[in-house]
Formats: sequence, structure tokens, C-alpha cells
Amino acid sequence: MTRRHTPEETKAAMHVIVGEMYDRMVKGEPPTMTLPVRTKNNIGFDKKLGVYKYGKKQSIRDATSLGSAKQLLRALHVVEFIEEMLVAGKSSTLREMYYISEAWGLGKFGSQNESNNLAEDLEIVTKCLREDFKLRPEEDGARMIGNLTLRERNRRGEWMRINARDDVGDSGYGVPYNVEAEKIELLEHDIDFIMAIETGGMFDRLIENGFDEQYRCGLLHLKGQPARSTRRIMKRMSEEWDLPVVVFLDGDPWSFRIFASIAYGAIKTAHISEYLATPSATYLGITADDIVAYDLPNDDLSKKDIEALKAELTDPRFADGWWQEQINMMLELGKKAEQQSLAKYGLDFVTETYLPEKLSELGLA
Amino acid sequence: MTGIAEKLASNQKQVAISEFFEKNKHFLGFDSLARSLITAVKEAVDNALDACEEARILPTISVAIEKLDVKKDIVKLIVEDNGPGIPQKSIEKVFGQLLFGSRFHAIRQSRGQQGIGITGVVMYCQLTTGRTTHVRSKIAGEPTAAVVDIGLDTRKNKATKANQGREMWYNADGSSKEHGTEVTAQLKAKYQKGRQSVWQYLRMTSIVNPHAEITFTDPDGEVHHWPRVTERLPTKVEAIKPHPHGIELGQLQRMTSESTDSRLTVFLRMNFSGVSARASKELCVAADVDEKTKPKSMNADQIRALLEAFQGERLANGKPVKLLNPPTNCLSPIEELLIKKGLSKTIDSRFIATLTRAPEVTQGNPYQVEVGLIFGGNMPADKPVEILRFANRVPLMYQQGGCLLTKAIESVDWRQYGLDQPGAKGVPKGPAAILIHLASTNVQFTSEAKEALADNAEVIEEARKAMLEMGRGLRKHLEKKKKMAKTKEKFELINDILPAIAKKSADILGKPVPDLSGSITQIMSAVISETETVWNKETKQTDVAITLFNYTTRVRAYTILATWPEKSGATMINNDTGGRKEATGVWAWKLESLQPGEKTVISYSLGDLERGDWTETDIFFRGSQDVIGASKMDEKFLEEIRRLERVLTDDSSEDEDEDEFEPIESIGEPAVAPPNGQTTLFGGEA
Repeated sequence: MTRRHTPEETKAAMHVIVGEMYDRMVKGEPPTMTLPVRTKNNIGFDKKLGVYKYGKKQSIRDATSLGSAKQLLRALHVVEFIEEMLVAGKSSTLREMYYISEAWGLGKFGSQNESNNLAEDLEIVTKCLREDFKLRPEEDGARMIGNLTLRERNRRGEWMRINARDDVGDSGYGVPYNVEAEKIELLEHDIDFIMAIETGGMFDRLIENGFDEQYRCGLLHLKGQPARSTRRIMKRMSEEWDLPVVVFLDGDPWSFRIFASIAYGAIKTAHISEYLATPSATYLGITADDIVAYDLPNDDLSKKDIEALKAELTDPRFADGWWQEQINMMLELGKKAEQQSLAKYGLDFVTETYLPEKLSELGLA
Repeated sequence: MTGIAEKLASNQKQVAISEFFEKNKHFLGFDSLARSLITAVKEAVDNALDACEEARILPTISVAIEKLDVKKDIVKLIVEDNGPGIPQKSIEKVFGQLLFGSRFHAIRQSRGQQGIGITGVVMYCQLTTGRTTHVRSKIAGEPTAAVVDIGLDTRKNKATKANQGREMWYNADGSSKEHGTEVTAQLKAKYQKGRQSVWQYLRMTSIVNPHAEITFTDPDGEVHHWPRVTERLPTKVEAIKPHPHGIELGQLQRMTSESTDSRLTVFLRMNFSGVSARASKELCVAADVDEKTKPKSMNADQIRALLEAFQGERLANGKPVKLLNPPTNCLSPIEELLIKKGLSKTIDSRFIATLTRAPEVTQGNPYQVEVGLIFGGNMPADKPVEILRFANRVPLMYQQGGCLLTKAIESVDWRQYGLDQPGAKGVPKGPAAILIHLASTNVQFTSEAKEALADNAEVIEEARKAMLEMGRGLRKHLEKKKKMAKTKEKFELINDILPAIAKKSADILGKPVPDLSGSITQIMSAVISETETVWNKETKQTDVAITLFNYTTRVRAYTILATWPEKSGATMINNDTGGRKEATGVWAWKLESLQPGEKTVISYSLGDLERGDWTETDIFFRGSQDVIGASKMDEKFLEEIRRLERVLTDDSSEDEDEDEFEPIESIGEPAVAPPNGQTTLFGGEA
């Protein structure tokens, strides 16, 4: 398990990176930064942890091209900025850092994507978490509804007890960006499983239909590709409460990717997979079978969809037989379907027929 | 059999003028209110340019348009020139008589092949507004200008004149006008902006008439000015006789019937171009007509046979009769340098290539293709390139798609030259404008509208070849630009980014800033050249600076060569590095030892050039290690230049230049003695 670092440890870890650059220059060579290759070709299954992690392939970013040199300079500015925050006891969002970089002259970021990627690079190389760097994500966490109780320390430093069914409105409990023990404690629950849902429309449909109470589950709205804190709290609930997690998504290649990042770890964050991934999560639907079995309204796969599916066929996270079958079937059908296409059979079909049938296959209903 | 054309023309004159206009307005250029205005400007400006050219005067033309009645679309047009002026008694003929002048009979390149002339404008004004056209004209030496109002009596189909008189003519600054003509007309028309506008017509006219100064005041009072960029008037063109390949039966019939020659051979020699004494006899043999035949007495069969002999369908001694090409001095191309100047004054850009092909002959008619390509600057990158079409220096503004010139552009796969062209079809896209000019004694149009050139495989191929050559130039330019951008990046890397990395990392670690020379050499590991060619406003010279950086660990030696416009009369000044002439237009400098980490600058200025004449200097090198930013010298290219020089100087000063032209083999690698104890790529251990 990745552990948290003290400010001193964080600073020392960052100085290793700076030292690599410095020493190369002293030797009369171009400065470099060494980091693992961050593509699907360099992730492998870690049997001990049950998730996918970066392999041994390293790439060296050296200052022989303008682009890489600028990256190194930016990394130095970020290191300096983080050190300043550690001293001052402040934190900033990634977006704030992006704007602060305006003052960095040659080292300023061209886009926020660049600054996000660089923060991840630093995490990977230093083995620190961005929480150690005092950097907060911009994306907000998920919404949650169900009979489960937790304790959150509010901004006045007081612990608040919140039941995610009785103490919240229809929009549910909002998961904060930091869900670590210093901020959130999981207290008790009276549910049988957790269901993660891709779209807000479907999340609200299940709430309106009272699905969480009828089937004794916690509902979690992923908001598309789930934020780190969403994946982290799923992982904590699954481990600490020993609850099964089922994932209910659209039936398209992008949803497959969302599932892989939940269950096996995302390629971009493979350095902290064991901290974010829930290996026991199960893909509930929409499957390629479902499109046929339920005769769902569908769309043709786009060129990009097809490319994505083909890329998934060679992605080690989808190497097992069931996934290969699903992906190939979707390619053959040439179709994809949304969660909400189930409404073809009425508003209650999803809660009265589809989900009960799918859950009973898993022994959860 | 004779005079069909004349008969038709006289028949036509009997049709009421208004009817004639109504029926034919599409090909007279008056089919829409917007186009009517362009046509009126065009006729007046063409007249002014032709008159100035004839009188060898550098034209200064001003065009002004005012809106008189916006609701009824009535505008006032004033066109003034500094031409020779028109004698008082001729004004009526020039403005009131259809097809006045001799240019329809002569075979040479002329603007007047298009439109029916200024008379058409006078007619149009009379018919649409009921107003006469006011003409003021002054001849040099006469104290006053002639003035007259010209109209048309639509019932009698005759010109009318009123308010005839003489008056003083003053310029805006109060001085009296020396010579020129001014036309003031009122017509129903609409002023429009954009690709088909008076503005565009004048802009295009100014591009192909770089010797003209044109000022345009639009209806909003905005003044557009296109300056004169050369003092050189277009070459005076000679009229030529028809060539047998370009003649038609009717014309041949008329020529024989009007001939007073006593023998057919004499007739052939004297009335046609390209017919030698021998050919005249052979043509008679081929046509099976006695060479002593009086042309006037030839019968229809004989004339037909002669035409077949012209066309090579009838043989003499088993072969078609060999004819010489017609002379090409009847053509007046704009020429490469002037197209360049014309283009660069109207379009701001980074790259211009122009090309004038040698004259060619198709169906007995001499013609010549000229092209220009201008790239970069502020032109939009995602739109089709602007096509500027011209026939005999007259802009073609309508029917672009159906024109031979457009088809020639479309026949090129522009993708390989760096322009976007989806499916390698159609007009390419990119920040560029393509100019294409056809100069010919007989321009063939697709229709009477005279806006699109008719297909002709030979002309298309000629134009296509010109495009390909220009395209290669463009590709070279783009490749060079890419290379330069890369070099610039490297410089930014070592001059700005690397020192920043060094300082910041030292700051963070609390250590001294490291010395970077080693890292820099490793990063660059090359010899790099940077060339700047800039116009110096103060000195009116083109300043060139070639900088060489040796970012390798060894001493280097090179010969650096640069192109310069010697042939255009440029002079090389302030060339402190010396060097020597390598060939015409190529200068060479020997750099004996470039130390590692050292920078050397070769700088000089080019005099006797104008702004925009020379914007890019090509740099070559001789030496074994590549120089980024320069090309390896192609010795064949030099040899070719030298060969041409020898041909030119053969009879005059062969001995003088002897030591200037070392044999190429001996130049090769510069002989450099490496400094003691150092290894160089050229010498090994010294």
C-alpha cells in the first residue's frame, strides 16, 4: 500500500529528481528525468496486490528537444512551488497551479492537461501522493445514497456523523476530494452491496424508484470516468465493510474502460492502483449480450468506437475470456447502447426487471 | 462568298441599339448591375493603359465611384488618366462609334480583344439613365482641354454631341494638367465588395501592370492606392502576319480575293509568317496548284486544297510541308521580376515564385504562359487559394471553374508541394494565391462573355509545367522553413531553457549554477547556420548576415556559398569577410578554422535593389560535416552556371577571368591545417 509521506520525506524525494538533472549538467550532459512508460504496453498484473501496475519499462525525458526541455523546466517550477506550499502549510488545486504557472515565464504550462500530467509524473517518480504535494484535484467526487453511515471532519475540524439515506436530500451525500482516514471514517451500514452507476439520469431513476431500499444497496454516481476520490471510497467500502461492488454502465467501449479503471486500475494512475482499484468489482451491464437479449435501442459504433474496442483487445486488463468475448461480440454487432435505452420498456423496467435479473445471476437478488 | 462578316455586322447595326443591348448584354458585360460597373471601369481603364502604352507614357490612373441615388442604383464614375489625350475631332469617334480603331485586324497581343469598348459604356449610360457621358481630353502642348458630352441617338443609332468647347484643366494641386483624358459617366449600377468587384479588378490590373499607378476612391470615400513599382513600360509589340496553321477557310478566301500579287508563291511568302521561299513552292506542290497562279483567280477547290496543304493533310514529296514557327515578338509577357513586384505590392507574404515560360505556338498562334505563386503572410490557411487569371494582361473575374487556366491549376497534385488538396482534386487550399497569365495573339474564350479560356491541350500542358516548376520552389521553401523552425527551437533550448533549468535546479538544491558548455555541445552536436536577409529602410540596402555556430567538440572548416541577385544588377557592398566570386550569382567564403563553441558572422549588403527584390538567400556549404540550415553544394549546379558564363564571355574576355575560375576539382574540400595537437575531421593528427 502506498503510504503517506511527511513534508520532509516529500521534499527529499523531489530533490532526487532535481539532483538527477543537476548532476547530468555538471557532467557536461543534457539534463534528464527518468520515469516509467505510461502506456498499456507497460502495465502488468501484480498478483500480490490483485491490480495492474506499471512494469519495468523506463523512458528518459532528456533536454535534447525543446518540448522535453520545457517539461524539465516545468517540473522544477512545480517542485519549487510544492516546497513553498509545504513551508507555508497551504494547498492548491491543480487548476490554481496551472494559473500560477503564468508567472513562470518559459516554464509556464500550455494547457491544464500538461500540468495534471506533470503532477502525476512527479507522483510516479517520487512515490508520493498528490495529497503529499498539497495538490487537490479539480473534479468533484461522486454522489452517494443508501443506508450507510460515516463520519466526516468538517472545515471547522469537527467530526460530523452522516447517514447517506436519512441525513441527505435527493442529491445524496457528496464525496469530498480527500477520503483518507484523517477526513472520513466509515462507521456502519445496513446494505448488501454497492452499485456504481455511470449516468446521473440512471442514478436519479433508481432513487426515484426506491431501488436502494428495496434491494438493500448503496448507490454511487460515477459521473463518467470516476475521480480518484470516488474510486478510493469505493475501494475503502469494499475492503473495510467487505461489500461486493457491482458496476452498471452504458454498453460501449468507453464504459469498458471505466470498469477497467475501477476494477484493475487506470493506465494513467497505475502507480497507485493498489490504492484506488477494487479488484472484486463486477461488471453488471450493459453487456453486448444485453443489447441482443433485451433488444435494446442502439447506435452504430463510430470509427473511434471501433478503434477503442480493437485497442482493448490487446489491453492486458481485458485479457480474460469473458471480456474478449464481449468486445468481439460488440465489434460483430457493430452496435452500442446506453443505460437509459432500457426505458424502451417503461420507466420501471430497469428496477423491476433488468436489474433484478442481472443481480440474481450474481446471487445478489 | 465574301464579306459575310461585314454583311452580318451591317445587318446588326440596323437593329435598334436598345434591342441590341438587351439581347447581348450578357456578353457585353452588362448582365447584372454589379458587373455593369466593373465593365464600365474595365473599358475606361483598358483604354487608358493602351493609350499610355502606345504613347510610351507611364500611366497614372485614378478611378472614383460615387453613389448618386441609392434607391435607384445610380452611380457616377470618373476615370482620369495621364495618357496622350485625344484630338478634339476624334473624341466623337472613340466614344460614339462601335468598333473604332485598328486593333481588330492586327495580329498581336492586345487588351482590346475583349469587350466592345468604351462606346458600349456610353450606350449603357444613355439607356439606363438618359444621361450623356462627359469627356475632357488634353494633348500636350495645347493650352486648353477639349470638352464634350457624348450621347447616342437611340432612334438614329448615331452618336450625339453637345456642349462642345475648350477649357483650362487644373490638377488638384492647382498646376495645369499637361495631357490626359477624363471620362465622367452616370449609369445604373451597383457597387459591390469582394472577389468580383471594381476593387478586385483594379487590384488585379495593378498586379499585371506594375508600371501603372492606380488610385481608387470607393463610394465610402476610402482611397485605395496601388503604386508604380517599375519605370519600365511593357515591350512594344510588333504586329505579325497570320501563320498558315492558324488560318481558316473564310479568311483564306478573303485574303486571296483581296490579293494583288501576281504569283501564288509571292502571296504565300509576303502574307504569312513562317513560310520560307522553299516552303512556298512546296505548298504549291502539295496543293497541286501551279505556283504561277494569280491568287485572285484561284477557285474554291484550289483554295481548299491550299488550306489542306497548310494543315499538313496534303503532302509534298510524301511529307507535310515544313513551316517555321511564327515570330514571338508579337507577345509582351510581364516577365518574372515584374510579376513578383506586382504581387508583392498587393499581397503580403513570405514566399513568391514567378515564372515566364518561353513562347510556344499552338495552331499557328504564338502564346506564352506566365505564372506566379505567393505563399504565407495573412492569407487564410483553410480556404481555397486565390486564383488570379489574366489573358493579355486583362483580369478574368467570372466563370473561374470553366476556365483552362483553372483546369491547369487543378491538374497538379499540390499535396506533394505542401498545399492541402482533398483527394488531389480541385483548387488547392492554403495561404496562397496563384497567378496565371496567358499572353497570346489569339485568345480563345469559351463564350462571348470572354471570361473563361477555352480548352487547348497544348496550352494546359504548358501551364501545368509552369505550375510544377513553381510547386517545386514552394516545396523547397517549406522544407527550408521547417528546418529553420527546428534550428530556432534548438537555439531557444540552449539559450533560454537550459540556463533556466541550470539556475532553478541549483537554487532548489542550494548548489552553484553548473557550467553548460558541455551540455550545449551534446544537445546541439552540429554546426548550425542562421541566415537573415532584411531590407534596411535607412540605407535602402538589403542586409544579409550568415552566422555559423560550431556546437561540436572539434575544429571545423568550411567553404560557405551564398546566392545573390548578381544578374539583376545588384552590387555587393560592406563584405568585410571578403571571399570571392564562385560563379555568376554565387559568392564563396572560406572559413579556415571554426573553433568549438565559436560563432562566426559573415555579413554584407546588397545595393541597387528595391524592397522585396531579394528576400531569401540560399546558403550552401562545402565540407564533410553537415551544416544545419545550409545545403550541401551541388557542384553540377555550379558547373552549369559556369558553362553558361563561358558561352557568354567566349569571344570577349576569356583570359581575364582565368584565375577566378579554378577547376572545380581543386576547390573541393578546403585545405586546412588543424591546430597543433588537435584532431579535426579533415586532417587527423597534425
